[in-house]
Amino acid sequence: MAEITEQLRAELSEALRQGDADKAEALTRQALDGGADPLEVIQGIIVPALTEVGQLFQEFKIFLPELMLAGEAAKRATAILEEAIAASGQASASLGTVVIGTVENDVHDIGKNIVSTLLSSHGFKVVDLGRDVAPSAFLDAALKEQADIVAMSSLMTTTRPSQRSTINLFKEVGEREKFKIIVGGGSVNQQWADEIGADGYAADAAAAVELCKSLIQVS
Amino acid sequence: MRNAVRLVDVLDRMEAGPIIEEEDFDMRLVPETMAELQAKYDISIPPDAPFVPDDDALADRLFEAGLEMAEAIGVLCTDTGRRMLWTRSEILDAIGIAPDHLTVGAFPDAHTEYKRLPEDTRRITIKGGPVGTPSPEHLYVAIQQSYAQEPLVDLMIDGSLETVYGREGRSHSPWEVLLSWHEMEMVLTAVQRAGRPGLGIGCTENSVSEIGELTVTAADRLGPHHWHHVAMISEFKTNYALMTKVAHIHKTGSILHSFYNTIYGGTAGGREGMAIAIVGGCILMQMAYMTTTHSVSPTHPFYGNTTSPDILRAIAPAQQALSRNTHLLNDVVITPVGGPGTKTLLYEVAAQSLLAVSSGAAALIGPRSAAGTEPGHVSGLEARFMAEVAHAAAGMSRAEANRLVAEMVARYKADLDQRPVGKRFDEVYDVVRVQPTEEWLGIYEEVKSELRELGLNLDSAAAHDCVGRSTTV
Repeated sequence: MAEITEQLRAELSEALRQGDADKAEALTRQALDGGADPLEVIQGIIVPALTEVGQLFQEFKIFLPELMLAGEAAKRATAILEEAIAASGQASASLGTVVIGTVENDVHDIGKNIVSTLLSSHGFKVVDLGRDVAPSAFLDAALKEQADIVAMSSLMTTTRPSQRSTINLFKEVGEREKFKIIVGGGSVNQQWADEIGADGYAADAAAAVELCKSLIQVS
Repeated sequence: MRNAVRLVDVLDRMEAGPIIEEEDFDMRLVPETMAELQAKYDISIPPDAPFVPDDDALADRLFEAGLEMAEAIGVLCTDTGRRMLWTRSEILDAIGIAPDHLTVGAFPDAHTEYKRLPEDTRRITIKGGPVGTPSPEHLYVAIQQSYAQEPLVDLMIDGSLETVYGREGRSHSPWEVLLSWHEMEMVLTAVQRAGRPGLGIGCTENSVSEIGELTVTAADRLGPHHWHHVAMISEFKTNYALMTKVAHIHKTGSILHSFYNTIYGGTAGGREGMAIAIVGGCILMQMAYMTTTHSVSPTHPFYGNTTSPDILRAIAPAQQALSRNTHLLNDVVITPVGGPGTKTLLYEVAAQSLLAVSSGAAALIGPRSAAGTEPGHVSGLEARFMAEVAHAAAGMSRAEANRLVAEMVARYKADLDQRPVGKRFDEVYDVVRVQPTEEWLGIYEEVKSELRELGLNLDSAAAHDCVGRSTTV
């Protein structure tokens, strides 16, 4: 594997921070064409750049659009690199796969979007199902993606029962033990998480990242 | 109501407006428009800006920015994928015919809310209640009664229910019907027990979809004289379910109160973008919902509160922009991080009350204690406190309000990330007598003493609602 030049490293980091997906994609291909190790591109460039972007958002030095554009750029670059990793027979660079969504009948997704992007920025593969996600859709996606974690958000008291229904569905079909299931959102607290048998609760996006890391035992 | 004649026209625009992908709306149109208008109108709110600015020129520029924002962005209906748009002239015409006062409730408890100006001596309307905070079913009546029995509470707003008949509720299902009926039955019991059978009620807090509202908004249930709620989804979005509520509320001749919780750091941006979004959001609720009163509850994405310093710095100039340039009835929702039994809650409530009153808000709503997320962590005493501080601040200069707000913020700022959610209702109230415990009353008196020492005259005739225009019987 060839070393990645400092210039390419700096340019790709900058493209990711700026959320320039086209440029990030082109530079990623350039790195691969130059013989770079795809794992090194992910761990040495993409994860640090996105971690920095996530930190800037938590400090409100940048805002959600910049965060999500950076996340999108990273997603496109990572997809190319994951393809290369798969082709070479190496193990995936992802920390783990998280299937995430806002539960059935709940259309509030800003909080979920922040969590989704921060998880990506910390090296998780995130499959975002969007909002108003039925229990069966969580189950189908978790099985299809061979997820490690299923994350459900709910803003309203009257939509959060869908978190329980989803967990119950996983139990009923005998798939509960395959996944860690976590919950969050405005109407949710630790007591609720314990009551419905979730594996974890996070009060905000930063805590959600730490929770996911701890559930799959990443230091 | 005169502005409701636009109902069919609004629905037409929902079906025929320009198509836009939601991602394009969120990630391009909203942030780009905000950045452009912030520069065009020279909107700057530095991190050390006063909490309550005394800058009329800034307020007026903010109004122009918000007006242009409303025209440029419109409201996205996510079910049709189309934007409802209006010209500047149409917007100004609609604002012009919107009401500048509104009587809510029924004899003998009807109350009239009036438009106010910054530094206005007219009393602000107090809408006390837990604002959708979930409550245990067995405590619900006592909790609502604790607000209704406060004489300074002009109108009440409901909490939501954790369960119905001990079962989990579920939106967009028959359970939502039962939840909404349960809310109706219990709040009507609460106001009766408090001796205020005609008290205007903010409802239906258990109607997440349209089903609950359709079920209980009727002449013989939660009638037209109560104030019925419809949300605008952040940022600037609606859908068929919400528009169904709008149509139903107007066709039943009911009072429509709309609310919008712009997210700090979201697609609208930081302090400046949030201030523009508050102004533009209120205008857009008027356009899409033909609403009679509006409230904004700018929300912190991590704490879920409205009292973080950056958010306060956005609310005050935005409220001044609306008050100086329109007669729209704009309310401010107070969502503190602190819960009952904590000084933090009272400091937060004092700060935002002082800010809103001096900036010309028509009403205060809440407090939605413990960020509205801890079941039952609410009590009527904090609404009493909110009203007392607000009435003591009537006619206060913005400079003086700023001094007091800064004092309050200094006392709670460090607590925000600790989330001091305090105690549940039955730990701070005797639930049979529906009276606060000595401990909770003691904390409340301590904070009032601190405010007196800072110069707030909580013992004036105005603070006790003896002067000014009170229209409650």
